[in-house]
This record gives sequence, C-alpha cells and structure tokens, in this order.
Amino acid sequence: MRCCDMDEAQWPGLEAAALLDDKAIEATQLFNDKKHEEAAALALKILDAVPNQRAALRVLFEIRDAEKRRRAADALGARLAGLEGPAALRAQANERFAYYLIGLGRHAEAAPYAAAAVKAMPRAAAAHHIMGMVLTETGALQAGERHYRRALELLAREDGMILANLAWNLKMQGRLTEARKIYDRALALRPDNSRGVGGLAQLLFTQGARGEADAVLDDALARWPQDRLLRMLKVMADLAQGRVEAALERLGPPEAQLPPEILARGRAHMLAGQPQEAITAIATARGVQRERTGQSFRPEELSARLESYQAYFTAERIQPLPRARPGAFMPVFLLGFPRSGTGLLEQLLAQTPGFAPGDEVAPVAKLTTAIPGLAGGAAYPQALDEALIGDGAELPERLREMYEAPRRAMGLARPEVGFITDRAVSNVWHLGLIKLLYPEAPIIHVLRHPYDLLLANIAQDRRLEGDAQAGLPGLARYYDFHARMLRHYRGQLTLRYLPLRYEELVARPEEAVGRVREFIGLDAAIPEGLAGNALPVAAPWPGHFAGRVAVHGGAAWRFRAYEAALPHLFKEVEPILAPWLAELGYDGEQGA
Amino acid sequence: MSGAAQPGQVVMPLAEALGRLARLEQEGRLAEADDLASRMLAAMPEHPHILQMAGIVSHRLGRHEEAIARMEKSAALSPDTPLYPRNMCEIYRGAGRLDEALRAGLRAVELAPGDARSHFNLALIHYERRELDEAVRVAEQAIACDPAFAEAHFEKAEALLLGGRLREGWESYEWRFKLKQAEGMLPKTDKPQWDGTPLDPGRLLIVGDQGFGDCIQFARFIPWACLLAPRPVLACSAELMPLLRQIPGPARLVTRWEDTGEYDAYIPLSGLPRLAEATLETLPPAGYLAAPEALVRLWGERLERLMPKGKKRIALVWAGRPTHKNDKKRTLKLAQFGPLFAREDIVIVTVQKGEQIAQAGGYYGRAPLVNLGPEIADFLDTMAILQNVDRLVSIDTSVIHLAGASNVPASLLLPYAPDWRWLLHREDTPWYPSLRLYRQTRPYQWEDVILRVAADI
Repeated sequence: MRCCDMDEAQWPGLEAAALLDDKAIEATQLFNDKKHEEAAALALKILDAVPNQRAALRVLFEIRDAEKRRRAADALGARLAGLEGPAALRAQANERFAYYLIGLGRHAEAAPYAAAAVKAMPRAAAAHHIMGMVLTETGALQAGERHYRRALELLAREDGMILANLAWNLKMQGRLTEARKIYDRALALRPDNSRGVGGLAQLLFTQGARGEADAVLDDALARWPQDRLLRMLKVMADLAQGRVEAALERLGPPEAQLPPEILARGRAHMLAGQPQEAITAIATARGVQRERTGQSFRPEELSARLESYQAYFTAERIQPLPRARPGAFMPVFLLGFPRSGTGLLEQLLAQTPGFAPGDEVAPVAKLTTAIPGLAGGAAYPQALDEALIGDGAELPERLREMYEAPRRAMGLARPEVGFITDRAVSNVWHLGLIKLLYPEAPIIHVLRHPYDLLLANIAQDRRLEGDAQAGLPGLARYYDFHARMLRHYRGQLTLRYLPLRYEELVARPEEAVGRVREFIGLDAAIPEGLAGNALPVAAPWPGHFAGRVAVHGGAAWRFRAYEAALPHLFKEVEPILAPWLAELGYDGEQGA
Repeated sequence: MSGAAQPGQVVMPLAEALGRLARLEQEGRLAEADDLASRMLAAMPEHPHILQMAGIVSHRLGRHEEAIARMEKSAALSPDTPLYPRNMCEIYRGAGRLDEALRAGLRAVELAPGDARSHFNLALIHYERRELDEAVRVAEQAIACDPAFAEAHFEKAEALLLGGRLREGWESYEWRFKLKQAEGMLPKTDKPQWDGTPLDPGRLLIVGDQGFGDCIQFARFIPWACLLAPRPVLACSAELMPLLRQIPGPARLVTRWEDTGEYDAYIPLSGLPRLAEATLETLPPAGYLAAPEALVRLWGERLERLMPKGKKRIALVWAGRPTHKNDKKRTLKLAQFGPLFAREDIVIVTVQKGEQIAQAGGYYGRAPLVNLGPEIADFLDTMAILQNVDRLVSIDTSVIHLAGASNVPASLLLPYAPDWRWLLHREDTPWYPSLRLYRQTRPYQWEDVILRVAADI
C-alpha cells in the first residue's frame, strides 16, 4: 500500500485536509451506494494528496476490511484512530478500530484503542462496552465487569447485548448463578442474539445441567441452522458426552468445513480410536490454517525469554531479594504443559476440603507487565532488582496483594478455603517471581507422556504461545522450552515441588489426590466417590468444570496406538523429546 | 613440516610445529592446540610424537578414548621412548583403567630407571590399586632419584597414612607445603614453624591451611595446642570463621595475614596431629561443633513446611568442588542415586552447593526432593539443616566433616582408594563415630555402593 509508511510529520494540517471534504463526501456516497471500486479509487486519490483525510480513510478502511486485506486495513484503522480532532470523532474512530481487532480475535491489540475511546468520551456507553469486551477476553475479568456495568449505567436502560456480554464475563468468573439470571434478562430483550444463546448453553454445561444445555442448543440450531458457532458448541457437547457418531454427522462433509470444524472431526476420530482418520483430519486443518493465515511456530520470542530468565533467575541473584509475607491464603500452583491434566487435578482437589479452584484467572504473568511501572521503569525481570533498594523492598508484598485482590473479588478466598489452585500454563515461566511472592507455595507438576501431550494439543483449536499448535515439531520445541525453563528453576530455587504423573492420576485418582494433600500437609483422607468427579463444589466454578466427567484412563498412553498405526508420526520430534523422555522416566517399559 | 606447500599455506618445520604445539598445550590454548594437532596428524598420521602430543591435547579436552587411541598408537610406533608409557600411565589412571596404567608405569620405569617422575606416576597407580607397601617403596625410589621431589614425599605420606601408619606418615606429610598448590597457604615470615614447646600466651599463630574439610577435621587439636601456647591467633578463611569460633582457646580469629599481629611461631592446623603425636586411639573426640539452637529451630520450622510429613529425611551431597585434585574419583551425578530415589518412605533434602545444584532440576524420582542448596548461606545453615534430618548421605566433601564434627549420622561414599583419612577395610572411622563408610569394591564403580547405602537407610 503506497501510503502506509508515510511520515506523519509530513501530513498537512486539519485545515488543509478539510479542503478535500467535498471529495471525501463523494467517496463516502460511492461507498454507501456499494460502488466499492470507484469509492476506493477516489479515496486513494484523496489520500495521495492528504493522507490524513478522515472520511477518505474511513471509506478505504471499510473497503479493505470487507476485502479482508488485513495489512492495509490495519494501517488505515490505526491511522484513523490516531487522528486529532473532536472527541466524538476520536472516540468513534478508536471504537471502530478496536471493534475491528476484536472481530479478528486480537483483543490485546485492541486494548489501547478501546482505552482511547473511553478517554475521549468517558460517558459513552459504547466505549465502555468495547472496553469491557477487551478486558474480559484478555482475562481482566473484574475490570471488564466494571466497564460493562458502567455502560449499562450510562445507557440508563437494559441492553440485551451488553447484558449478555456481562453474563459471559460473570460466567468466566465462575459466578454462575448471577450469570444465569443476567442471561435470562439479556435473552428476553434480545432473543435474536445467537451468541448469547450459545453463551447460556456453555454456562449450563459448566453448571452440570447437560440436558438443559443440550435443549438450548437444539432449539437454537432449529432457529439458526446455519450458525456454525452454535453447531460447533453442539459438536463439542456431543464429544464431551461420547456421542462421536452424532458429532461427525453434525459436522457434515469435510470439504465444507473450516479448520476448527476439521479439528473437531479429528478429535472425534481420536475419541473413536481411529488414529489414521484423526491425523488426516488434523493435518488437513493445520494445513488450511497455514495456507490461510501463515500460522507456523515462531520460537524467537520464547527463546529470548528463556535466555533472559535463565540469566536473571539464578540462586545467587534471587536469594538476596526480599520475599512477601504469608498472605490470606496459600496458592497451590498446578504446573503443566497444556493438556497435561491440571484441569482434572483442579476438579478433583476442589472436591476435597479446603480447596477452591482458581483456574487461570489473573495469572502471575499479568503482574510482570505491571512490575516495570512499580519498580522505576526497568524491564522485567531486571526491574526486580529495585526490590533491593529502599522502599522497593515492599515490591513483593504489593505484587502479592495484586495477585490476591482478584481472587478475593471473585469469592475464591473464603474462610473455609486454605488453598486456591492456580493452573495458568504461563506459570512455568514465572516460578522465579512466584518464589518471591509465595516462597513456600506448593507446586504440583502434572507430568504426562510428551507424545500424548503433542497429540492432545495438535487436535485442539487453541492457540498456544508462538503458534506452537501449528504442527508437531513446533509443539515439541515448545515442550522443550517449557522443560528447560522448569529444569532451570528447579535447579536454582528451593521449591516445594511435587511431580505427579497424569497416567497415575487417572489410574488411581484417590491415591494421587491423597499424595497431593499429604504433600501439602493436609490429611490424605479422600471423600468417597471422588473418582466419579461429580461431588458438589462451592461456587465460583471455572469454565472447564463443564467438562467434568468421571475419571478415566482413555487418553493415557494414547500415542501407542498412533505409533502402531503411523510409525513415522513421531520420527521428526523424537530427537527433540528423547532427552526429556529419558529424564522423566518415560523411556522404559512404561514409556515409548 | 615436510611436503609441498599448497597455495596460501604456511609451511613450518616439524620441530617448530611440535614446539608450538607443546607451547599451546602448556598455555592452555587447547582449541588452537587441537586445531594444530589435527593438521599435523593429517600431514603425518604415523609420527609418534605428534600422536603423543595430540593425545595429550585430546585428554585435556576430555576426549579420553581418542587420547588413549592416539597415545597407544604412538607407543606402538616408538616402543622404547620412556616418556610415552609415563604419560600413558597417567592417562589410563584418569580413565580408571588401572591394570593398563600399571603396565605402562612399569614399562616407563623399566625404560628410564633414573627418572623420578616415572617412579612417582607408578606410585600413584599403586595407591589407586591400594597396593600401599608398593606405593611407599616406589615413591621412595622416586625420592632416591630426586630427594627434593615434594610430590613423591607427599605421595609416600598419603600411602603411609592410608595404611594407618600415622607417625611415619606425618613426617612425610610435612612436605605438603612444598607442593605447588600449597603456595600462599602459609604466611611469608621468618618465624619458625612451632615445634610444640610451650609459648607465652598470644605468641602462636595457627593457620587454617588446606581445604574446608581438613580444617574442620583438625580443629579438634586446637584445644590441645592452647594448653601449650595459650590464646593463639587463628588465621582462616571467612567461610570457616563461624565454625572455628566455636572452638575454645584462640584469642582472636583473623582472615588476613596483616591482621595476625606479632607471633613467635606458627603452625598449620594440619600440622597439629603430628605435634600431638596423635594415633588412631588417641584422637580428640568428635562433637566439637554445633549449630546455634535458634538456627536449628528456624530450619526445623522451614523443613516442616517444605516437606511431606511421616517420611525419613535424607540430606544429600553428590558433588565436590570441581577443581579438587581428586574430584573425578569422588563426584557423582545426582541421577546415579536411583536406588535411593526409588524409596517412597524418604524425602531427599539436597544440601549441595555450587553449580552442580542445577542437576536437581532434572530430578523425577519417587522420593520427594527439596533442593535446599540455593538457600544455604554458610556452613552454619548446613549444620543446622543436618540437625533436622535423619541422615546425611554424602561423598567425601566438607559437609561430611560438618556432620561428623557435630555427631550427625551420615553415610559416606568412598572411592576404591580413598583419601588417607578414611583408612582401609573398615566401615567406621575413629575421626567421626557418627559416620558409616561405604567403599567402592571396584575403582570408579558406584552402583553397588549406592545400593548398599539405600538398603541400609
């Protein structure tokens, strides 16, 4: 695009830009008349002369967005959002660009634009609504809730869309009862909100009301038979309840499917014990993703992070740093590579006395972004050195408070709760910081055979750091990064660390949970029927409770069948993983 | 080097190239030496001296098999060069191939009966093979060739002491300060070494020489010295201060030579047993060190929080200081303790310090492991931790002395030919009654040792 890289300092002033307003109105009119080619040509001509002409930018942005020409749309939207001018126009431009980014799932990138919209028009409900969406989807749940509620206040009336988004936020916080009530209000106002209906169905699953959830989805699909998101929700419900055939039938012919649907097909075959079909579907989905979005593993940032943390977090350097005093509760960090079984362990622990399931809310990783601001501006982790100087000694205490506050707000910290589990995948990077906040927090590391982890992750429609999910080699290297980081921390820090094998957890759940409780210093007595994974748990509940099923070993050692059916499947990753297989003891009879 | 020069190549005469190779090796410029050796070997693959030098470079780079192959070829090409078997004797010893080392050593002595170094190398092999009388005899031959050969005297001392012949051993042991590595251990002074005759109060300087373990072990003789020379000044490293402060008698402890003040005589700590005419039956008892109670309590509380209850606590040290001359013989990898880690009724508390603590990062045994090393600040911390465990399992390093001196039960893993102080053929030690010794039955073989240690816990 010819004007993308222009120097902003060279732009004409607003008055000069106004000289072309008439032409811009003409371009807008062409656009409204759906004469996109002519509108774009005229807008380009205007922008060649005046690159900051607001209306021309808007027209061209909308056209490039519709054409899915992302790089151009990104540049135009950002430029539009950055223009000076009346507050209302600034708010409008920033809202629009934030909304565009949200639509692409780029919530974190949308944050500064949503914030700029709120700052420009603090009393605009729409701006707060968008801010709420950004915060909710980036994990800042309580802050997101505040903005949704503020948007409703400013509107001074019920709004079905905002209410549905608020309900989703509360569902994410595990406040299921409240969320249910708000969904009812939202859907009464906007029964046409298919996303809201889908959210309600997911809420019902989390509550364990599977029959009701199925019914909601069936009704919704009857109303919106072409809605792919609802259909996917139903497929996922089918898979969670073992209805593999129904799921495959619902997904329809593979050639008409999008990558998330093809991946769901792969998972269905996986559940059905059909390695060949599963891998074919998964490989197809990943191939399409690569083709369409260029997704491939990007190790550079992970590599730099590993190197930086290994250099900083050494025994000699960490030992003199001050530690926070004990807090209101003790977190129990459930460490593990994605799909290693930390969710299952959290579910089981939550059914024993003294535990609350904290899931992945407000992870320690979030604190690292606040640390430079609190510690004089140096980058993390070097900023932690400030804790050695003067009032900096209070830094760990302040960070611990920042970690605890959202858990209190969510109702996780209650008198009967001594331990709140934290299963954020990112914790593996931050054990050094965790050591300063909670020097003696138990760390339960759920180990699982790396080949099984690769299979589980390659089949999931979940984006991992560095786009590691793009293929088995990327996943293996991502695993290698995790394992190297953890080995480093375990060598350099005194940790209260217990490894627990997923394979043992599913084979003998009561014994495994008993071991964890004993390790933490609690009695090992386990409630009867724990393996059924359906004992009552006090709210709030995390979303993964929707998938609570009786403990079973169906996914353990799955890779063996895949190796037998596809002997070359793991050949490429073997050199990367062999040292870890040996170190973890998975290379003997029990292992590969 | 002979041969036609290729364009862009510099041709160097062989003698010059060999000289350069030797220089690079001696200066520790091993990568350059390796490169030069490879190029020389490519040009002259059958030249015995190039092979010999290249073997030495390989050895120093840790490529032991390659070193041995090169040197064996060298010796085969020039079987009557005494230097080659002399070198190989050492290389085989380093590789734990003691039979071959002995053959090479005997051949070196046969070829050069007047070469003190050849006799000395052979004495080392006899020590490693626990042939102590032979070790003493051959060391004496080395001394006969070169009466000022300090290392040979010291080797003789070690063989005598290991055999329990303490009185004779102490005399030769005095040569230790003439060893190259002993430089700086004693003060630069014209005052004499103390001979054990009474001195006025404050006129004796006691020097904490040698390693931490030796100082801890011989500190028991300080009260005896104080009877003859009251209120001495004790010079030691800062790390040892908190420990040696516990020994009654010295007026002051200093860490710098310039702080010693005036004295009439000095004595290294390791010289006290000789003066005291110590025998295995007359050693002052252990129990002369103790961790401060408050520190013991503090670590006790921490360990209570950090560890699962109801399990035996086993403290573990698996590696020594890598620069120690015998470190290869004594140091293990953490992973070698498999039989211990398989036990579910114990919890491992590693009190390892130094770079080797990183190995704890790869531990996945059944027994829970707490890597305490990163939070241990000094010897008092270690000693306080040891008061809170059921047993220490350790190689021969300073921590075992701490355990022994403070009467903590401990299992000591010893190489086939251990340091002299652990003697031979016994499971206990008169120096520290709380220790149980587990000896290698074959050189460099730890498997059965660890099995026995694990079984006895």
